[in-house]
Amino acid sequence: MPSVNPRSTVNLRGRPLHAMLVPVPIVCFVATLVTDIVYWQTAAMLWADISAWLLVIGVIFSLFAAAVGTIDFLGDRRIRELRSAWIHGLGNFAALILSIVNTLIHTRDAYTSVVPSGLILSALVVVILVVTGWNGSTLVYRHGVGVRQKDPA
Amino acid sequence: MKSARRKSAHLVAAAIAMLLAMSGCGPAAIDPQRQIGANPYLPEIHEYLLPPMHVAKVVGWNGATPAAAPGLRVQNFAAGLANPRSLYVLPNGDVLVVETGGPPGPVSRPKEIVMNWVEKMAHSRTPPGQRILLFRDTDGDGVPDQKTVFLDHLHSPFGVVLVGNDLYVANTDAVLRFPYSTGQTEITAPGEKLCDLPGGPIDHHWTKSLTASPDGTFLYAGVGSNSNITENGIQAEVGRAAIWQIDRATGAHREYATGLRNPNGLQFEPQTHTLWAVINERDELGPDLVPDYLTSVRDGAFYGWPYSYYGQHIDPRVRPQRPDLVAKAIMPDYALSSHVAPLGLVFYTGTNLPAHYRGGAFVGEHGSWDRTVLNGYKIVYVPFTNGRPSGPPEDVVTGFLIDGDKARGRPVGLTVDSQGGLLIADDTGNSVWRVSAASP
Repeated sequence: MPSVNPRSTVNLRGRPLHAMLVPVPIVCFVATLVTDIVYWQTAAMLWADISAWLLVIGVIFSLFAAAVGTIDFLGDRRIRELRSAWIHGLGNFAALILSIVNTLIHTRDAYTSVVPSGLILSALVVVILVVTGWNGSTLVYRHGVGVRQKDPA
Repeated sequence: MKSARRKSAHLVAAAIAMLLAMSGCGPAAIDPQRQIGANPYLPEIHEYLLPPMHVAKVVGWNGATPAAAPGLRVQNFAAGLANPRSLYVLPNGDVLVVETGGPPGPVSRPKEIVMNWVEKMAHSRTPPGQRILLFRDTDGDGVPDQKTVFLDHLHSPFGVVLVGNDLYVANTDAVLRFPYSTGQTEITAPGEKLCDLPGGPIDHHWTKSLTASPDGTFLYAGVGSNSNITENGIQAEVGRAAIWQIDRATGAHREYATGLRNPNGLQFEPQTHTLWAVINERDELGPDLVPDYLTSVRDGAFYGWPYSYYGQHIDPRVRPQRPDLVAKAIMPDYALSSHVAPLGLVFYTGTNLPAHYRGGAFVGEHGSWDRTVLNGYKIVYVPFTNGRPSGPPEDVVTGFLIDGDKARGRPVGLTVDSQGGLLIADDTGNSVWRVSAASP
C-alpha cells in the first residue's frame, strides 16, 4: 500500500530520528537566553559559563538534527513541496549559524562575552525557534510528515 | 510558497553575512616600535570572534645556540633541564636554577579545553622538576662543572632571594624560609612558612616573583591575577594583581602596589633603590592591545587592572565598573609593545659585558601567543640614565625563533653571575644560556 503521508527517511523503527534530536538544541538555546539574561542582570560569571556550555551542547546536537532533517527533506518530494518545510529548514539553518557565532562570542572573557552581542543573538535565535517550531509542528500535525498510516479498518 | 522560500533564504543569507562580517579579519598588526617607551600608541579595542592563536611550534635547539648582539657571545650553561624558569646567584657564585611549572588549568568553560591544549603546545613536553638545582663553576671558565639538587619537592616555586642566612623561596602558595650557609650545596632542613600567598584553586598566573629591599627589612612578592580579565569572577582576585610587601620579621603583608595584572622580575634599581618590575598586560583586545610594560613600582599606586589599562583607558569587559578606581590609575613608565610577555628583568651592574650595557636593564620576553605576527621571543636591553629608561630597547639575544614561527626556546628569568655574565633561563629549550663579552 502506498503511504499517504510524507515519509521520514531517517527513522528508528518508524520513529523519525529528527524529532528525537531537536528537543536538545531547543532546550539549550532557550536556556542560554535565560542564563544570558541572568548574567546581564547579576554580572556573576557562573551564568555566562553556563551559557557557554549550553551553546556548545546545543550546536553539537543541532548539527546532527540538521543533517538528519536535511536527509528527510531531500528524501521525499512531498516534503519539499511544503511551504512550512522550507521555512522550518532554512529558519533553523539560520538559527544554527547564529548560534555558532554566539558560541564564539561567548568565548570572549567576562562582560562582552554576553552583553550586548551574545544576548541579542540568544534572543534572536529563540525568536527564530518559535517560528520554525510552529512550522515544524505544521509539518507533523497538519501534513502528517513522518507519521505512520493507520491501517485501514 | 515562493515568497516564503525567498524570505527564509534571505534570513540565511543575512546570518551568513553576519558570520563573515564578524569573523576573524581583525585589524592588521602595527609595528611594535610604535608601542615602545613612555607614550605608546594605543589602537582602538578590537574584540575577536576567533582570537588569532599563533603559537610557535617547539622544535628545540639541536645543538644550535641563540644569537647575540655584536661584541657578545652565548654559551650553553646547562642543558637537559626540566622547565627552568628562574635563576638566582648566591654570594659565593653558585647559581640556582628553579625548575618549575604551574598547576593544570581548570575547565570551567569549553574555551578552557582549547586554551589548555594551546598552552601545552607552546611549552616543553618535559614535566617540570618542581625543584631548585645548584650549579657551581669551580675553575672559573663561566660554565659550571658541578650540579646538585639544592631543594626538592617544592610547589610551583619561582622567586628566590637570600637575606643573610635566610633563603626565601616563593612557592605559588606561600613564601618559605630555609636556613642557608655559604657553600652549602643542598638544603634538607624543612622550610618554615613566612606567609601564605594566593595559590589555588584556579591559580591562573602562578609565578610568584620575589626580591628583598636593599636593607633586607621587607620582601616583595609579585602576585599575578587569577584570570585574563576577571572571567573567573572578581572574588577570585582577592590579594592578586598586586605586589605584596612582606615584613621579614613577622610575615605580615600589605599590598604595596595594585592593578598590576601579572608582575614579574621584581628588582631594585641599583642607583635609586626603587622597585621595578615587568608586567604582562591583558589579552584579547586586539594584536596591539595592551602593551606589556616595564615600570617603577610606586608605594600605594594603582596601575589599572582590571578596570582600565595604560592609565585610564577603560576595559569594557569588567562589571561592575569602578570609575573611582580608574580615576586613580597611573601610567606605567615604559611600554615594551604588545604581548611580548616579559617575565625576566635584571639591572646590569657587572663589568664583563661591554660598557654599553652597564646601568641599564635586560628584559626577557617569553613571546606572544595571540598575535598573528609573533612578538617577543628575545632578550632586550633598555638603557637607563639616572635611574630612568633613556632610550629604545635593543635586541641583545635573539634566535629563539626560526623560520618566523618555530621556537627553539623561550626566554624567561634572567640574572647576572658573579663574573658579570648574563644568564638566561629557557623553559622551552630546557636550557640556561650565558652571555658574556666576545673574546677580543
